Amino acid sequence: MGDDNSAKQFAGATRYVLDQELAKIVNISMALEMPLLLKGEPGTGKTMLAHAIAENLKMPLIVLNVKSSMKLIDALYQYDTLTRLNDSRFGDSSRNVSNIEEYIKMGKIGQAFTAEQRTVLLIDEIDKADTDFQDDMLDVLDQMEFDIIEIDKTIAAKSRPVIIITSNAKKDLSDPFLGRCNFHHIAFPDADMMRRIIGVHFPDLDSELMERAISAFYQMRKLDAVEKKPATRELINWIRALKADPDFKPKQLAKGELPYLGVLFKKSQDYARAQHAVNGRRIN
Amino acid sequence: MFIKFFYKLKEVGIPVSPTAFLTLQKALGKGLVVTLQDFYTASRAILVKSERYFDLYDQVFAHHFRGAEMPDVEGLELDELARAMLEAWLQKPEELSELLGIDESALNKMTPEELIEYFKQRLKDQDEQHHGGAKWIGTGGYSPVGHSGYHPGGMRVGGVSGSKSAVKVAMDRRYKDYSLHGPLTQAMIGEALKRLRNMVPVGPKDEVNIDETIYQTMKNGGEIEIIFDRRLKDRLKVILAIDNGGWSMDPYIPVVQTLFDYAADQFKDIKTYFFHNTIYSNLWADPARYKKPKRLDELVRLDPQTRFVIVGDASMAPYELMASDGSIHIEERSGLPSIECLNLLAKTFPHAVWLNPVPASMWGYTRTISAIREIFPMFELTIDGLEQAVMHMMAK
Repeated sequence: MGDDNSAKQFAGATRYVLDQELAKIVNISMALEMPLLLKGEPGTGKTMLAHAIAENLKMPLIVLNVKSSMKLIDALYQYDTLTRLNDSRFGDSSRNVSNIEEYIKMGKIGQAFTAEQRTVLLIDEIDKADTDFQDDMLDVLDQMEFDIIEIDKTIAAKSRPVIIITSNAKKDLSDPFLGRCNFHHIAFPDADMMRRIIGVHFPDLDSELMERAISAFYQMRKLDAVEKKPATRELINWIRALKADPDFKPKQLAKGELPYLGVLFKKSQDYARAQHAVNGRRIN
Repeated sequence: MFIKFFYKLKEVGIPVSPTAFLTLQKALGKGLVVTLQDFYTASRAILVKSERYFDLYDQVFAHHFRGAEMPDVEGLELDELARAMLEAWLQKPEELSELLGIDESALNKMTPEELIEYFKQRLKDQDEQHHGGAKWIGTGGYSPVGHSGYHPGGMRVGGVSGSKSAVKVAMDRRYKDYSLHGPLTQAMIGEALKRLRNMVPVGPKDEVNIDETIYQTMKNGGEIEIIFDRRLKDRLKVILAIDNGGWSMDPYIPVVQTLFDYAADQFKDIKTYFFHNTIYSNLWADPARYKKPKRLDELVRLDPQTRFVIVGDASMAPYELMASDGSIHIEERSGLPSIECLNLLAKTFPHAVWLNPVPASMWGYTRTISAIREIFPMFELTIDGLEQAVMHMMAK
C-alpha cells in the first residue's frame, strides 16, 4: 500500500471531538492495516468517528449497515439475474447478455475494494449478523480479495481501505474475529468532554445554558430503571430545542423545570419515569 | 521486549495471543510508539479485545511499569472495600466515623490515598469476616460500608484530568465496571436470548425465487414468469411464566422480568404470566395473581411452536405438586394435581424449558425439583444455563 497514504495522520474533524487516546489507536490501526473494532454504548460516537476520519483524510466513506438477515455475498457483490433474464428474453438493452460480468454489481465491500482511491469502510453494527457472517467477512478483509463465482474472477483490493467496525453488543464477538482487529471501547463522555462536544456543535452557546443543560442531562442519566438512557445525540437535540424556544430561560433548569423531556426520553415508560422524577423534585 | 509483561497479562487471565503480541512488536518496530502513554494505548488496543479485561490490564500495567502492588484475590477484595469505604465517607462522614469509632476531624486531615491505606489497615485488623452483622464491615451487612456501598463508577477523587500519565490513567481503573465478575445483568441476558429466533416467511411477496423463476419460465416456453416469495422474518412466539410467589424468588423477579421486556424488540410476540410455586389450572397475567387469570385450556390452543419458558425455584412441599387439591390458594383447587398440569404443558409445547435460580448442585436435595426435572428440561438461571436453554429451545 502506498506510503503516501500511510503517512496521513488522523487528527480530528470539524464536527467531532476526538480524545487523544482514540486518535492514537486510529493511527496505529491504520499503520498496521488492521480493522479497528469499536464498542461502547449507543451515543458515544462510534459511527461518527468513521465519518470524521473520512472527512479528515479526505477519503470517500463507504458505509455497510449490517442487517440480521444479511449474507456475506450481499456485502461483496450481487449477480443481477433478473435483468439478465429480461435482457435475454427481449434483447433490447445495450448490455451483452452472454457477458455475465455486465450483470455483476458491487456490494459495499466490493465498492471499497474496487474504488480508485483509498476509502474508509465503515461496517456498522456488526453484532446484528450471525457469527458465521462475521468470521467470513474478516477472512475477506484479511485477504483483501474475494472471488466472484459466476465469472470465476478474483477481485483484489486496489488499495487497502481503512476499516472501522462498530458493535453495540455487550457480549464478545468470536475469538478469530477479535484476533484480527484492534479493539477500543469508547466510554461515555464525562462532563468535561461533553462541554467540548457541545462547544463544537454550538460554538456561540450561552455558557449558562450550557452548564445548566449539561448538569441537568447528567442528572437525568442517573435515573435508574430507565431503558434507554439519553445519549449525546439526545443532549444536542435537546439544547437545540431549548435554544429554539423564545420563552425559555436557563434559570428554569436550575429550578428543576425541564421542558421538552420527550427529546431526551423516547420510550414512553422512560418518559413517564423522568416526568415523575422531575415533578417529584420540584415539590421537594 | 515486554515479554514479561505479556506473560503477566496471560497469567492474570487475559486471553492474549502470540499473534497479537507479534502485531504489537510490529507496531513498535514501525516507530509508532514513542512514549509510555503510547505504549499503554497501543498494547491495549492490540492485545486486549474486550472491555471486560480493561480493568485487569490497567492493574497489570500499573504493576509492571510502576511497581504498583499487584493485588492478589484477597487484596482485591480489601481494595474494593476500602474504596467503598472512602465513597461512603465522602458522602456521610459522620456516620462512618461513628461506626469505626474514630474522630471525623482526624479523617478530614488525610488525603484520599492516606484514607484508603487507613481503611485497608482497618480491614486487615479485622480478625474474621462478618457477613450480615450490623456494625462491622463485610458483605451484606447493614453497615453503610461494604459491598452494597460499592459504587461501580469508580473513584475519581481530586478530579484528575487533562494530561495524565499513562500509569496514572491505569491506576485510575476506569474500566472497573466492565469487569468479568458480576451478577447476571439485564444486558447479558438480552445477549444470550438474541439467538432465540424462528425464521418464517411473512409479509409481502417481494423476494425473487430464482430457481422457481427459471423453472416456470422454461415451462412457459421461454416466456418470462417471475416468481416471488415472502421474505424470511423472525416470528418467534415466547411465553414466559414466572414464579413470583415465594420469597426465594424475590431477588430474581426484576431481572427476569426486565430481561424479557428488554428482549421484547427481539421477539415480536411475547406473553408473560405469573404463578406461585407451581402451575395449577390457571396462570395469571397480573403479577398479583388476582385479576386476570389465563386458563390452561386456552394456552393449550396456542401454536405448539411457542417457546415456553418457566422461571421458578421449583421448591415446595411435595403435596403441592402431587395432590389433587395441592394448591395453597383455595380458589385454585381444581381437582387436577399440578404435576398433571405440568405434563400437559410439556406435551403441548415441545420447546419448553424450566430456568431455576437455585444452583444446579443443590437440585438433588429437593424432591420437587427432581420431579419437575423429569417433566421439563431444567437449566440454571445463569448466563451459561441460559445459553444452554436457548440452545435447547432452538433444537429441532
